[in-house]
Amino acid sequence: MLNHSYLLKDLDILKQHLAKFYSMVQIEKDANGEERWTDQSDPDTVGLFGHKHLPSTSPKGFLFAEKEALYKFDGETFESITPQVVPKVLFGVQACDLTAIAYQDKFFKQDPYYQKRRENILLVGIDCESPCTNGFCAEVKAGPHVNDNTADLVVSRLTVNGSNQLAEWLVIAETEKGQNSIKGLPLDKAHKAHFILRNRLLDKMRSEFADYSYINNAIEYLNDNAVPQHLWEEMSVRCLSCSGCTNLCPTCSCYSTYEIAEKQPDNVISETKAVKTETLRVWDSCLFEGFQREASGHNPAQQAAQRVERFWFHKFSDEYLTEFQRYGCVGCGRCEQTCPGTIGVHSVMKRINQECCS
Amino acid sequence: MVQNLVNSICPFCGVGCGIGLVATDNNIISVHPLNKHPISQGKLCAKGWNTAFGISRHGRLTHPLMKIDGKFREVSWQQALSHIAKSLKKFISESGPQSVGVISSARATNEDNYAAQKFARAVLKTNNIDHCARICHSPSVAGLKKTLGSGAMTNSIDDVGKADVIFVIGADPTENHAIIGGQIMQAKLSGATLIVVDPRQTRLAKVADLHLQLNIGTNIALLNGLLNIIFNHNWQNEDFINQRCEGFSELKAHVAEYTLDKVAKITGVKGEDLVKAAKLYSQANASFLAYGMGITQFVSGTNNVIAVSNLALICGQIGREGTGINPLRGQNNVQGACDMGCLPNVYPDYQSAMDQKVREKFTQAWGTEVANFPGLTSLGMSHQAKDGHFKGLLIFGEDPVVTDPDRNKVAESFKVMDLLVVIELSMTETAKMADIVLPAASFAEKQGTFTNCERRVQLINKAVNPPGEAKIDWQILKELAKEMGVPELMDWKDSEEVFHEMTQLTHSFSGISYAGLQQNNGLQWPCNEEHPNGSRCLHAKTFPIGKGKLIPVDHAPTDEVPDSEYPFWFTTQRLHFHYGCGSMTRKSPLLERETPDGLLFMHPQDALDLGLKNHQGVAVSSRRGCVETRVEISDQVSPGLLSMPYHFKEAPSNLLTNNAMDPGTEMPELKVCAVKLVPLPENQPPRSSELSDVGIGEQYA
Ligand code: SF4
Ligand code: SF4
Ligand code: SF4
Repeated sequence: MLNHSYLLKDLDILKQHLAKFYSMVQIEKDANGEERWTDQSDPDTVGLFGHKHLPSTSPKGFLFAEKEALYKFDGETFESITPQVVPKVLFGVQACDLTAIAYQDKFFKQDPYYQKRRENILLVGIDCESPCTNGFCAEVKAGPHVNDNTADLVVSRLTVNGSNQLAEWLVIAETEKGQNSIKGLPLDKAHKAHFILRNRLLDKMRSEFADYSYINNAIEYLNDNAVPQHLWEEMSVRCLSCSGCTNLCPTCSCYSTYEIAEKQPDNVISETKAVKTETLRVWDSCLFEGFQREASGHNPAQQAAQRVERFWFHKFSDEYLTEFQRYGCVGCGRCEQTCPGTIGVHSVMKRINQECCS
Repeated sequence: MVQNLVNSICPFCGVGCGIGLVATDNNIISVHPLNKHPISQGKLCAKGWNTAFGISRHGRLTHPLMKIDGKFREVSWQQALSHIAKSLKKFISESGPQSVGVISSARATNEDNYAAQKFARAVLKTNNIDHCARICHSPSVAGLKKTLGSGAMTNSIDDVGKADVIFVIGADPTENHAIIGGQIMQAKLSGATLIVVDPRQTRLAKVADLHLQLNIGTNIALLNGLLNIIFNHNWQNEDFINQRCEGFSELKAHVAEYTLDKVAKITGVKGEDLVKAAKLYSQANASFLAYGMGITQFVSGTNNVIAVSNLALICGQIGREGTGINPLRGQNNVQGACDMGCLPNVYPDYQSAMDQKVREKFTQAWGTEVANFPGLTSLGMSHQAKDGHFKGLLIFGEDPVVTDPDRNKVAESFKVMDLLVVIELSMTETAKMADIVLPAASFAEKQGTFTNCERRVQLINKAVNPPGEAKIDWQILKELAKEMGVPELMDWKDSEEVFHEMTQLTHSFSGISYAGLQQNNGLQWPCNEEHPNGSRCLHAKTFPIGKGKLIPVDHAPTDEVPDSEYPFWFTTQRLHFHYGCGSMTRKSPLLERETPDGLLFMHPQDALDLGLKNHQGVAVSSRRGCVETRVEISDQVSPGLLSMPYHFKEAPSNLLTNNAMDPGTEMPELKVCAVKLVPLPENQPPRSSELSDVGIGEQYA
């Protein structure tokens, strides 16, 4: 790693360099103070970085589009629609979201739509410097520093908590793509001392997290099947099937396809009449009752309690470890904020912990 | 493919959540919640999350359509408008301005609504202007006007979190106002006591500390009973009554006959639960009372609202944080449509149309003589049409054929009108009956303001262009005014100019500008010199009518009660996933999938007695009509009560509902009637009642 590590004074130099080859995607704040991943951002706009600015919407949609056309049928032939892509750089992705993208990479390995976008994206990760509001990445090994092999480039500020004599930023090229992306930038090589400093900052930051031990306790109860049915029922009454958790969760990947026919209402005579159909896919949510309903009407998850339980099982079950080598939850805390029924990750895990250890 | 990110307001319910629209290629592809929004704080309900489907280009009207030989043909705006203008002028000159009218929309912006009532009053010279509030909350406006002087929610949504007791009566907020429902559940989790009064076992009822599952239509008996318990225990707030109310002794004497036994018998609620509820509500530091259409949609709707008001006043649970009388309004801008004067009897800001001074003020401001005779409600207009006195109607974004009670009569009245113009997003059931259909811009295609149920005026912003030739409502009216020969009356250049004109003519809005709305994430009216930052809580020191009025009201049976011929109680409800006539939400494949197979909710015991299987087809009929659908067995309803959502045109509940009306407000008794039920053979699917499916659409075409 040392071989591909550099020092940088000003992050803007890197950004401007990358902007020459990639369309810039970074976190911006709008007039209402909302922070979000902004496509085709002007590289001269100062982006927002790190733990203080985790947007409520993750960058998931840049890879797994929320709504996209898969193919068209014009009455005679089917035509696949491949996504139109330009090379993009996601500049300043936090560790949790990078871990989630690595997870999605596995899930969508065979998916041409995802892969087409994925190939054209350069991920620049950033080490977080302090815990964010609802985040517990350290508890689920997704952060706070960028996990190995989840980004093309990682930038890490070495001047956290005052200046050090060494340097402002450490830049690590983790992949060949990352290495190529900084070709031509005159950068000094980093030394072992810089990595030691980075690790020290990491240790310090880990100690700053609140006590989230209830999360790992609850994970154990979940895997022991020790959560009583009545608790699932109590919690699931509060699920309004809004789909907020699954939409915002960076590792949720369920989708549905549906068809729309392009035609005018029957009783309208129009000059422009042509019947075409288009097949689209959209993000779906396992918290909808209809999600698992089969054509026969049979539904293995008809009760809300079954759906809520299954959602958390998907996030924390050991069963998925072989396939994904990690849990489905990356500790971003988004579901806690967005759940109108107050059954986001902290609320649920706290209740499980309370119920099971009492 | 540039992505355009625009902040706006959810177009579905009166909560008014903040919503971020993501557009590429002039298409809304997705939405996201807004963390900084004062109400929704990063949350949305299923409807909000699915907004993009409702306004997708697919199925939208793109050109003006005129019906020629029973078929719609595309025509130019010029052709359509000049035809409308000519016809309207002819009706006015032949039959007077009473023969024409406008029905505006609780989904449209304040600007559109202001333009609609101005068009009616200043261009057509008629007070025949209305919108759908009549079938949601007109009794709130009427009832609270009498007792307090103002019909809006007295407190703010986040007062839910400041209350010790939350008292929800006749409202199903987790399904209809989900984000408020969520806040109520959260408040309960953090220690507030929750009391739910509802004939159905709603989701909130399941988490409540106390659920009073009263017999349908017995609200007044229950509320009077609570008052009597409170007086008997001396739990009333004497100071508040002395200083702020009048009519106390009459009320106290009046409710004395509502003894515990009697009330328990009428309502079916246990006496001890009534006492518990009375004590909790009256003795709490702050009790927040919320109600919905389970209070208003009765022949006794106005009296129900008065009974609610009596309870809050007697206990002094109003005028402070965490308290109040809080009607939860249905449509996203039903508050605004009322505020803007889309009612026959009031101008913007509830200035009386009967008041000579008000008329002079508007005559002067608008530079033209305004209407000077009383106007008709939407129902009045249909009645007059049947008698041949009413000829031409413009309807904006409403689908009365699906949502109004007694659809057949509404449809008949449309049929006999000489000119029906419908301004809509897509081809609704009502639009199918029109002579001319004009394509309208959706909320994502325009700038403007919506006012949510807590009186918060909020900006919506344009994210995409309207499809084809679609236009914004106020622009259409501006063009039409031009065709009518009075271009100067409505010559605005943008929505901000419309809004500004309105603020100059009202008191409650005089302190609001677009810039102020942008800066403050919305402002709650009244916002003026006395309240430059808006008003979170009304009536802190005094009521608009001075002292609050305590008015005795009596329990009266509903217009219809079950008998041997029609043995079941029947009520209507909404489904979380759908909204209004379903024309927007049903475009989402995800929400459509959530529609249960059966649309008639029935208690398991009744199903057993009738030998019905879940999802078996049935024919439900009332004295007015018959609908075929499937049963959905559910313990949400009590035995003897059937409930049906009203969003579905294939099974329109309004073929069954009663149009007996609340006398003062013409609010139909949508919440209850009597029905009978005949099972269909087990494998026979129910027939759809969609107009075009039963041939009515064709027949009228
Ligand atoms: S489950 Fe919640 S905390 Fe975990 S990754 Fe998903 S949104 Fe983030
Ligand atoms: S965010 Fe909460 S209410 Fe919404 S679907 Fe998820 S668990 Fe259910
Ligand atoms: S609660 Fe109402 S305003 Fe909020 S997202 Fe749902 S429908 Fe929209």
